[in-house]
Amino acid sequence: MKRTLISLWSLTVASTKMYFRNKSAVFFTLFLPLAFIGVFGLLSQSGNSSFTLDVTNHSTTPLAKNVVTGLGKVSAFKVNQVSEADGATQLGKGKADLQVIIPAGFGQIDPATHRVSATKIITHYNAGKPQNGQAANLVLGQIVAGLNDQVTQTPQIISLESSGVKTNNLGTIDFLLPGILAMSIMQLGIFSVAFAFVSMKTTGMLRRIQATPTHPINFVIAQGATRLLIGLLQVVLLTVLGVWLFGFHMLGNWLTFLLMAILGTLVFLGFGFTVAGWAKDENQAAPIANIFSFPMLFLSGIFFPRDAFPDWLKHITDFFPLTYLADAMRSIANEGAHLAQLSGDILGLVVWGLIMFALAVKVFKWE
Amino acid sequence: MTQKPLLEIKNLRKMYDDGFEAVKGISFSVRKGEVFGILGPNGAGKTTTLEMIEGMRPITGGTALLDGLNVQEEPYAVKERIGVQLQASSFFPNLSLLELLKLFSDLYAESTNAMELLREVGLEEKAKSAVKELSGGQKQRFSIATTLVNNPVAVFLDEPTTGLDPQARRNLWDLVQQIQKRGTTVIITTHYMEEAQVLCDRVAIMDEGKIIALDTPDKLIQQLLDRGFKPQTKVAPATLEDVFIDLTGKELRD
Repeated sequence: MKRTLISLWSLTVASTKMYFRNKSAVFFTLFLPLAFIGVFGLLSQSGNSSFTLDVTNHSTTPLAKNVVTGLGKVSAFKVNQVSEADGATQLGKGKADLQVIIPAGFGQIDPATHRVSATKIITHYNAGKPQNGQAANLVLGQIVAGLNDQVTQTPQIISLESSGVKTNNLGTIDFLLPGILAMSIMQLGIFSVAFAFVSMKTTGMLRRIQATPTHPINFVIAQGATRLLIGLLQVVLLTVLGVWLFGFHMLGNWLTFLLMAILGTLVFLGFGFTVAGWAKDENQAAPIANIFSFPMLFLSGIFFPRDAFPDWLKHITDFFPLTYLADAMRSIANEGAHLAQLSGDILGLVVWGLIMFALAVKVFKWE
Repeated sequence: MTQKPLLEIKNLRKMYDDGFEAVKGISFSVRKGEVFGILGPNGAGKTTTLEMIEGMRPITGGTALLDGLNVQEEPYAVKERIGVQLQASSFFPNLSLLELLKLFSDLYAESTNAMELLREVGLEEKAKSAVKELSGGQKQRFSIATTLVNNPVAVFLDEPTTGLDPQARRNLWDLVQQIQKRGTTVIITTHYMEEAQVLCDRVAIMDEGKIIALDTPDKLIQQLLDRGFKPQTKVAPATLEDVFIDLTGKELRD
């Protein structure tokens, strides 16, 4: 028992040292995801100090005109008057934060009752970058409330109907960062374990451990522990940098976020150990690791939302472990979801984890 | 006078899954403190024999007792008492010799003076180096150092001198003799007959999974001569290797 603890600790320390002294491993886990975030973050970053509103006014009433002029006077808004179709395009491209549509007949006075009838303003925001849209919507809501008082002196006549419009454009940092974190966790779990372990097999290091009274399973555990540690470090570092450099909004609980990262790392370690245990050498490990990771890289909604997929593909990719992880991390960061709200994703990940660890045990070969 | 042997092998057999019988029922014993050589051509079953004794490969038949412990029943107890150098083993990358030796000590839960051990194998100055920065001879010396972290009763060296230059080979012989002086039993395999002649108290010659001869090198030579053997060429009083060593010196070149 004492020997097991000593050797487990020593192997974990050794694994960690080896990891950080391996420059390409550090590059792939820390700098590459950061570069991804940097490039995509800068591409999609627009001035965050003001919100761009694309306004389409279909109504000719004075009240409608008042609303439009009123919006223009709000310093937080940059108002463009465009056609409805153009507004939708701009929103889709991420060039507008909120599309505002004032329907025909808005603010008309009913001749019978002498009261303002149709008073609904419709807004759309880009679900790919909900922060700006929702924030703009919030400001707009305040203004509408104000207009109610001003124009009609009766509260709640003008109402706001708002909905998120999902588009397949490159989203902002808020869409990207959780996805890229999930992707990095996958790469860490599958590749770094598979290759480190297979090279221990081919070079005979694993046999050398077998010649000592310490069972090599301790080395497997040590490798896993090191990856968990690195996974956590990666998530904290990249998220903090995301907040600091690119204005990433972390609406959820950090602990929940980290717990999800740990669960994800464990699941993908299952994949990594399956590959590592099965493969005899690097040449066998590389293709199988890619077969696991490549489809997920592109089909799990890491770089773009899956909504553009045909239904059948969407249904298949719903069950990818990376989809579960990316969706869960995004829900936590973007919507402040709690663990209880993520039970579907968690269940999916747990099932995948169990399958992969069972498979790893089944196919594992020490030589 | 009849001291119990340190290692007792009886009718040891190894049959692989594919039906190949690598070791066909061999018996021998090794006395405490001797250097015991296992000689034989490639594929004779030397490495398989060692690996079975080291508890690294399941035994098909027969018994192996080390220090009274049955290897098959208590492989971990045996592993605690022995040191093993594998034929082709490398070490974790990106760790220094000192770190590796400490790691190996921990695998045995022993507190070894790693620096002292490096001094013993002449690698004190390389303490901070990685294994890949070492020469062939230095690598083998380091590999032997890792077998000594648990102060073993016996070390198993599988072809430690293969691929080394004559200087490094002689240097390794000194190390083996040094280990023997500590009172540690050495079981060594080799292709080099002159090496066996210099180092081994007794040798077993294996071929096709069987031991075909077992005795001291001198007696084996005498037996051959008694059978009327005459060398085909006139034996020169010196060999080309003697010339090489004389010209290039005994100093290590690594």
